[in-house]
Amino acid sequence: MPGGPRIACDVLVVGGGGAGATAALAAREGGNRVVLVRKAPGSTGLSGGAVSVAQDPACMPETPFAARAGVVESARRIAATRPGHPYRLLRDRLGGLWNAVEFATGQLSAVLEPPTGRNRWLLTPFGHAHAAAACQRSMAAGDLADVRGTLVVCGFEGHLGWDPGLVASGAERVRALGGPSPRAVLLDLFRWEEGALGRPFDLARLLEAPGAAEEAGRVLRRVLARGDAAAVLPPVLGIDPGARVPERIAAEAGIPVAEILSDLPSVPGLRFHRAIEARLAAAGVEVLQGEVRSGAGPDLPAAVGGREVVARSWVLATGRFVGGGIERRGELREGVLGLPVVASEGPFSDPSIRFAARPPASLTLRDSRAPQPLLAAGLRVDEELHPLDAEGRVLHPRIFAAGAVVGGHDPASDGTGMGVAMFTGWLAGRSAAGRDS
Amino acid sequence: MSKVRSYAWLAWRAVASHPLRAIRRRGTGEERFLASYAAEGLAPTDLEARTAAELASACIACGLCESGCTLRSAIPAARDLGLHAAFRLCSKSDEMLVHSVDSLAACATCTGCEPLCPTGVPITRLVRLLAARAADLDAPRRAPSGERR
Repeated sequence: MPGGPRIACDVLVVGGGGAGATAALAAREGGNRVVLVRKAPGSTGLSGGAVSVAQDPACMPETPFAARAGVVESARRIAATRPGHPYRLLRDRLGGLWNAVEFATGQLSAVLEPPTGRNRWLLTPFGHAHAAAACQRSMAAGDLADVRGTLVVCGFEGHLGWDPGLVASGAERVRALGGPSPRAVLLDLFRWEEGALGRPFDLARLLEAPGAAEEAGRVLRRVLARGDAAAVLPPVLGIDPGARVPERIAAEAGIPVAEILSDLPSVPGLRFHRAIEARLAAAGVEVLQGEVRSGAGPDLPAAVGGREVVARSWVLATGRFVGGGIERRGELREGVLGLPVVASEGPFSDPSIRFAARPPASLTLRDSRAPQPLLAAGLRVDEELHPLDAEGRVLHPRIFAAGAVVGGHDPASDGTGMGVAMFTGWLAGRSAAGRDS
Repeated sequence: MSKVRSYAWLAWRAVASHPLRAIRRRGTGEERFLASYAAEGLAPTDLEARTAAELASACIACGLCESGCTLRSAIPAARDLGLHAAFRLCSKSDEMLVHSVDSLAACATCTGCEPLCPTGVPITRLVRLLAARAADLDAPRRAPSGERR
């Protein structure tokens, strides 16, 4: 095999997103040799900055923030009501959910604010308030449940990217739940020719430059009024957390400053991706760039980007459609080991229906609020996170699956995506390292 | 009455109008087809263009490639509505592609964007293809006067 000698390791993690990174770091804790294979930033690079674990499925829209269930209790309620959800499958081990979230956020503390146990409420660019167990450090000061006074919602004068009025309307809608009263303002920044239509990554780089964040802080200070308690800005406050852009703006403006959540392209997403890469390197996880195509399983060589890797255990954390863990080639299938793809809930959860081969149009429902079979498609696993084959048997006792490749939840819409990634990643990583059985 | 008029109209079209137009028509069938449909991106394609379009269709418009583009950090003029807009136009029409000629030509194909693509779009290869296509389209316009558009 060209490209260097064969690598023999204890754990091979396939996938470098939230689940794969958590699994690799959890496995690495015991001193194992861990190799992580990934091809590109997956959905972590698309992250808006929130770490969504669970929000209370039982509460009413008008329930105040303070009266809502905490994150773990919310996850228990999801486990009780969603038959196909990974939380339900892992309900006997759900006590470990918080350990997993604390472990993963602790490992990524360079960008993530430590979780408090309750959900933070963060504004999106589209005028919604989004519940998240944790968020990036640059966003913590914008927690609607925590701001006392007026929240200054900023946009950039003459820039078409973010509409502070729309963002503020999201805060206005949840004001009665214990949120602050919002006030939309436009900051006179980026009006020179280059910045007028500047894309997020460009603006983030411009703000990192010496003096630029301070200038933004001075511009912000000029529009502040009595009673303003915090300010939120578009999510472009620097790519590198080490540039301390929010802190520099806050110091100059004299008010806590935060980013709102991001849409695409996402500066917080790139920041998150880079933090994962840096943490994996610092923890001694060996990262290989490439794809596992001729995947055979534990103790057998797998070809990865010109190298051969032999591992005692495998963690499959390849994601779903963005990550490429589940693909459609004639029918839905899992790409590395060729495992069957199932729908864990909804009209096709009956095992006698061959879900994966159904025509694409039947996998989405017209009612946009209904659970979409396609979006919850994934592997079936047992309580130990072993993927199951078409007959429902454990494929191999030392292959584990984690994250979005596991079916039964819809990371795009049910607000449990990062929670499932961190929880299953943590469990799978520990199991693969032999620390948990 | 209206029925009689309708039949008369159809008869006129079939017997006189169409044959007369056919005599007056200029250009080959392909030229006439292109004149009518190229602007809507419905022009005939070759195998290479179809392969490229299929590869480009994996794009989910996440914008991560932008963060790795050295061109963007180097040349303000090629920003914003440049390369990545051109890329999206790939599936649309040659008529619109012409406007991206300069941005496409400015790409040094450094491949900085490629490892960032979550869905594995071969961006550099597509940019090269687009640039070649755009240059072909642009050539007749530049040639006669020797200057740009």
